[in-house]
Amino acid sequence: MRILVVEDDPGISSGLRTNLQQRGYAVDVADGVASAWAALRAERFDAVLLDLGLCDGDGGELLRRLRLSPVASAAQQPLLPDPATPVLIVTARDEVHERIAGLDLGADDYVAKPFDVNELDARLRALLRRAVGRTAPTIRYADIELDPAARTVRQQGRRIDMSPREFSVLLVLLEARGRVLSRLQIEERLYSWDAVIESNAVEVHIHHLRRKLGAACIQTMRGVGYFVPQAQTL
Amino acid sequence: MSFRGAHESTAGMSVGSAETSLTAAALASRPSLTHRLLLWSLGALVVVWGSFVFMGYQTGVHEADELTDGHLASVAALLLNLRATDPVVSALVTEHTTLPWLKSHDYQQSISVVQWDAQGQLLSLQGTTVAPDFTVDEGFATFMLGPDRVAWRSFSHWDAVHDRKVMVMLQLQERDDLARDIASQMIEPGLWLLPVVSLALGFALWRGLRPLYALSSDVAALDPGSTQRLASRHAWNEFESVVGSINTLLDRQQAAMARERRLASEIAHELRTPLASIALQASALEGALDESAKAQALSRIGQDALRAGHVLHQLLALARASRAELQEARAPVDLRALAQSVCADYAQAAWQRSDEIALIGPQVLIVSGHAVLLDMALRNLVENALKHTPPSTSIGVQLGLSEQGDVWLQVCDDGARDVDGLDAHTKARAAGSLHLGHEILQRVADAHGGRFGAAPVCAPFTTCFRLDLPQPMAALAS
Repeated sequence: MRILVVEDDPGISSGLRTNLQQRGYAVDVADGVASAWAALRAERFDAVLLDLGLCDGDGGELLRRLRLSPVASAAQQPLLPDPATPVLIVTARDEVHERIAGLDLGADDYVAKPFDVNELDARLRALLRRAVGRTAPTIRYADIELDPAARTVRQQGRRIDMSPREFSVLLVLLEARGRVLSRLQIEERLYSWDAVIESNAVEVHIHHLRRKLGAACIQTMRGVGYFVPQAQTL
Repeated sequence: MSFRGAHESTAGMSVGSAETSLTAAALASRPSLTHRLLLWSLGALVVVWGSFVFMGYQTGVHEADELTDGHLASVAALLLNLRATDPVVSALVTEHTTLPWLKSHDYQQSISVVQWDAQGQLLSLQGTTVAPDFTVDEGFATFMLGPDRVAWRSFSHWDAVHDRKVMVMLQLQERDDLARDIASQMIEPGLWLLPVVSLALGFALWRGLRPLYALSSDVAALDPGSTQRLASRHAWNEFESVVGSINTLLDRQQAAMARERRLASEIAHELRTPLASIALQASALEGALDESAKAQALSRIGQDALRAGHVLHQLLALARASRAELQEARAPVDLRALAQSVCADYAQAAWQRSDEIALIGPQVLIVSGHAVLLDMALRNLVENALKHTPPSTSIGVQLGLSEQGDVWLQVCDDGARDVDGLDAHTKARAAGSLHLGHEILQRVADAHGGRFGAAPVCAPFTTCFRLDLPQPMAALAS
């Protein structure tokens, strides 16, 4: 899952980056409205953590611009920035009217500083869950059960050990099940700008997942990408 | 939020709750302007009406006096000129005609007549059984007659040949009854009118005071926390100054509350940001981190703890600024010496950043003010210049006297200069904004009746903040 942190305080942005990376997220940081807007126009993010008081403007302006962005039609290639990107406001402004104003601007959730990282993570997971239209905290697929909060995978009740990257690839494919994701699309969801990506990294992770969960779990569409078939969903 | 403001709001809340419990009793015992106006109006009306009653009674008595005296004289002349001297036997006496619409005494009084010859021999006595003294002087007289000493009014007159004297008499009681009757006829409408006038007056007062009731109700409904003002419906000449003053107070109150809110928001931001950063770094340290990341996280925790400490220091300074304004009196302060001391204290910090601090101003500059607050203000300005500018910045501390005789103090820097490699974030910070430190400066300016804000800059400086300190005439003279 790829997160954009928009925060001008170096202590908080580095702290968020480290904590979220430790929890398996790919994190990019922008320190102002302009750089965040450029990032949103260039890449697809699963969620945005947005500070309001930024050095070059108000974070609310970025949120407004994001929500007013054109929505791609079904026939079109997805446009950037995606106006449906979940946004969680993380700010020191905690008065009720400020929370209301932030949510009315189009934010999906609001957290006041200082905050508990576990709570932030839980809220982020809830946002990501809602964004893909899922209400249950765990994802069930055939005999596989994936728990994003505990970052565990069980098959027929037996825990399957896997690396954070393998977990993230499986999560991305399960959340998009029924849809084919290209190698590039999977990489975009897994790696931040500054991450070093090996050319066959995704193929290696898929190979490991098939070995652990069974070959039929992840299908390959030659020349297009990988997918988890929708029909097998329980 | 200022500590003083918090104290006042707490006190205000306690007073408010006490007021709520006392409202009913206080309202009951509080004098009413309507009652007072009604009382005064009715009092004035009663006094005027009483004066008219008194004057009416006096006029009635006087007129009755003149009327009866006129009757006595007329009857005497009639009797003498008609020679009606022979008394009628009692069986043939004609009684007074009864007039049902008149009281027995009204204008038909019982006149008595006495006649004497020239030697004082009583010739006739009509209407009374006791003859008066013959020696009573000619003309009008008042005397007592009979064993009951009844008061009579009389008119005596001799005929032209001076052989017969006629005295026409009337009991004074009858005359007084007539006077009272005239007076009561004048008073009676007033007695009926007084309650009616009172009711009409009460209604008129209530109706006339409606704008005052409306104003009172609107003032009671005012909420200082909202942006309410008194409406233009109170555009009465008499209310102009009151409404104007209340609206001015409301504006000031709302401005003060907005400032307090802004300050609270500023404090929240300044304090929560380093605390959030510390919490995040501590949480990251609990997870897997390489040695370099660990060292970085620990260093960041140290920096943010100092940052939070600095904010606390600013908060204490803010509290002290509010307290000093209330508790300490102004005294002459040598601003030059104070500035020298502050600049010297920051020499090391400036040297470490390769900054340069220069002090420009007269050798002695005495101001009337609070030394503690001025020291705090100058330290804040210099600290801001050091904190929010890139290294190798020139900082100028300047003092002077304006043409109006006001003392000014400003700190300028070239922190927003075009520096290679300086990122937008640092430049934006260097440009400066009114943060907590500037809020302290604003309070210091307020405590001295002065102004604080950004000032026009002269090259090579790019940012300048100035504190103007108006000086009282006495201080200037000294």
